[in-house]
Amino acid sequence: MRGLDLDYMAGLVPVILGYVPKTMAMASVAMVLALALGALLAIVRVLKLPVIDQFVAVFISFFRGTPLLVQLFLFYYGLPQLLPTLSKIDGVTAAIIGLTLHFAAYMAESIRAAILGVDRSQWEAAESIGMTRAQMLRRIILPQAARIAAPTLMNYYIDIIKSTSLAFTLGVTEMMGAAQKEAAGSFLYLEAFLVVAVIYWLLVEALSFVQRALERNMQKAFAR
Amino acid sequence: MLKPLFAALALTAASLAPVSAETIRVGMSGGYFPFTFTEQDKLQGFEVDFMNAIGEVTGDEIEFVTMSFSGQVGALESNRIDTIANQLTITPEREAKFVFTQPYVYDGAQVVVREGNEVGINSTDDLSGKSVAVNLGSNFEELLRGLPNAADIDIRTYESNIEQDVALGRVDAFVMDRVSTAQVIAKSPAPLEQAGQPFSEIRNALPFRNDEAGIAMRDKVDAAITTLKENGKLAEISQKWLDADVTRPAGEAAPAN
Repeated sequence: MRGLDLDYMAGLVPVILGYVPKTMAMASVAMVLALALGALLAIVRVLKLPVIDQFVAVFISFFRGTPLLVQLFLFYYGLPQLLPTLSKIDGVTAAIIGLTLHFAAYMAESIRAAILGVDRSQWEAAESIGMTRAQMLRRIILPQAARIAAPTLMNYYIDIIKSTSLAFTLGVTEMMGAAQKEAAGSFLYLEAFLVVAVIYWLLVEALSFVQRALERNMQKAFAR
Repeated sequence: MLKPLFAALALTAASLAPVSAETIRVGMSGGYFPFTFTEQDKLQGFEVDFMNAIGEVTGDEIEFVTMSFSGQVGALESNRIDTIANQLTITPEREAKFVFTQPYVYDGAQVVVREGNEVGINSTDDLSGKSVAVNLGSNFEELLRGLPNAADIDIRTYESNIEQDVALGRVDAFVMDRVSTAQVIAKSPAPLEQAGQPFSEIRNALPFRNDEAGIAMRDKVDAAITTLKENGKLAEISQKWLDADVTRPAGEAAPAN
């Protein structure tokens, strides 16, 4: 039984920390895009727009029904064989697109549930003062749905951050990729993967703290 | 008005100019000691020194792109990288698809087992009934599948960390190139040893796309490899990382300088 090489781990911490901005940037861009796309898909589903609704249903089914890694490989290594122009897309972009599509499908379902979770009386009240469906959604329903969906969406953000670790398979060196390459030279796998695990963990814990603070604030605003 | 004229002039100038400096995008895994790995975030190894030396000779910019080994061939085909410096072995299948430079490493396939060789592997015949780890998409996977007793070998493919699984006793052996195994055994804390003699001569070279631009780049890089072989720089890089000169076929003497 060998002991942990603590000096090596201490030396590795700044190296992995150096990749936190890259991981967070990828995750944040994917989060914003997935949120926008997910909201759009949810609205299509709620309003049951003909034809588009069927397309959206298939889209959501596919991206929820296949592993993210498979989607990333399909997009990055597979599709360029069909459309050579796609090979111009670099690993970071491909990873962001993959994360966006994958998580938009999940968020669409959460947002749809949140919209449907807004009390019927709210729709009726909005209708009684002569609002159009678009106005009702924008002014009355979505703000309330956002509050219902917020905790779940924050959880997806945390999920996205952890999922960026798959980007290494597309040649992106983020936190996991950096740890993997360091371990290849030192053979100290336990140390390298422990360091990266703990840094992910602290990152997510910090975000959970922010999440709880935000939730308290939101509840305060709507306290009756 | 003048735009087409300028464009024509620029084109003529470009075709008349000598081969200008370009950027060579080099794919590597960053996870194959001692050829490509990082230490304190610095990419290094035999392949890194080798490609930088090529860049010095040709005057080109060398840009390293790290990606998993199994994705590299696809990345080369789809023009995401220009070549692969990851001890890529020349095989007929790969030659049908890409154009190669001359070999810059001559090596053999080596079986490695846990220290003590309790599994009793001394030749490839002994691999029957054993589990053997190889890197996914590597030539060693092909070599194993080409053995007469391949049907009796439990071949397991990995993206990385194969020596770790042998050290932990999860698989009986792994196969890698002989020079790397010597370095891995020396450097890794894992209890490992070479089993038997190398069982296949392999020659490693740089692949390029089989189109006009790819062939032009191949020719330029190939000439640089000749230069590095003649001036002893390649042998020097080999000694530095492998404690041996593996850059010429066994039995061939170094050129007298």
